[in-house]
Amino acid sequence: MIPLISLVIGAVVAILLHPTVPQNLTPYVAIAVVVAIDSAFGGFRSYLERTFNDRVFVLAFVTNAALAVFLVWVGDQLGVSDFSTAIVVVFGIRIFQNLAAIRRRVFGG
Amino acid sequence: MRQPARIGSLRRFGSRRERTRPHLWLALVLGLAGFLVVVAIFSARTERHNAEPRRARLISLIQNRRGTVDELDGEVRGLRRRVDQAQASSSRLDANQRQQAQQTSDLSALAGTKALAGPGLVVQLSDSIRQPATPQEAGAFRIHDADIQLVVNDLFAAGAEAVSVNGNRLVATSAIRAAGATIVVNFRPLNTPYEVHAIGARLEDFNKSEIAKRFGRWEDLYGLGFKVGRRSKVEVPAFTGRVDVGVATPGGTS
Repeated sequence: MIPLISLVIGAVVAILLHPTVPQNLTPYVAIAVVVAIDSAFGGFRSYLERTFNDRVFVLAFVTNAALAVFLVWVGDQLGVSDFSTAIVVVFGIRIFQNLAAIRRRVFGG
Repeated sequence: MRQPARIGSLRRFGSRRERTRPHLWLALVLGLAGFLVVVAIFSARTERHNAEPRRARLISLIQNRRGTVDELDGEVRGLRRRVDQAQASSSRLDANQRQQAQQTSDLSALAGTKALAGPGLVVQLSDSIRQPATPQEAGAFRIHDADIQLVVNDLFAAGAEAVSVNGNRLVATSAIRAAGATIVVNFRPLNTPYEVHAIGARLEDFNKSEIAKRFGRWEDLYGLGFKVGRRSKVEVPAFTGRVDVGVATPGGTS
């Protein structure tokens, strides 16, 4: 319950503060969002599988986000913007896999 | 199966304090996630908002400047006409000055700074309305700068004395070239259909030219627009660009 409330609080804070992101940082935010969605689905899945662990969840979120942002940065430095595409593809696949696992848990099929 | 067992045992044996602290972390991370999602949505939206007016501003700027150029062109024509009239109507001219004025008038007709009219041809060229089968073929369905160059060359060969393309008089320093997909004559971008006016060109001679024959074939093959008409009065406007020669000086071996 507390995590859900904090999620809403975070969103409300963003709406109230209305922060603007410098244009050159937009790709990083987008990648961080994809990572966050993946972590949320992964967390829910492990919760349903009764293997949820706060520490693992937080660590996974932080390391995934850090690595994804780092890769995007490296891609930027090398002039290969496709790195972000690769990250989006990988995390997109993971999101759908997690969703499938959640569906199997919930509906048993 | 090993990991769930390990985590399960960790959870079972973990003290109360150890379990509450990660909860705080979890709350923080999820709060950050929610924050990030909303920020990303906002920034994407503002970026789109910023991009749209910029394009609209550029388009209106281009249209504005084109309007200014047209106005200035008109002014140049008007001022030149007034100069001509003033020179012609001046009653205090002696014979020498009158001769000079006549000479200037003749030269300006040749140089292109004077609007001319006379019998001649009007050639209309336009892009095809047909859709090309493949993107590679798209070039064949459009009028290119080289097409207009060839038409103009053969109009001169057919006896043309003054030629204009979409109202742009061709002079000694004129260029017909392409900037991207746009044809540019005298630094003015043109759009299809292209209308070439040629005073003094003879229809029979032009119809015998290579480019006229080729366009006759391309009309059927690709649907390019090609029309040649003889008119008793064809008008060619005056050149409105810069006419003086600044860098080049007379000399060299002739």
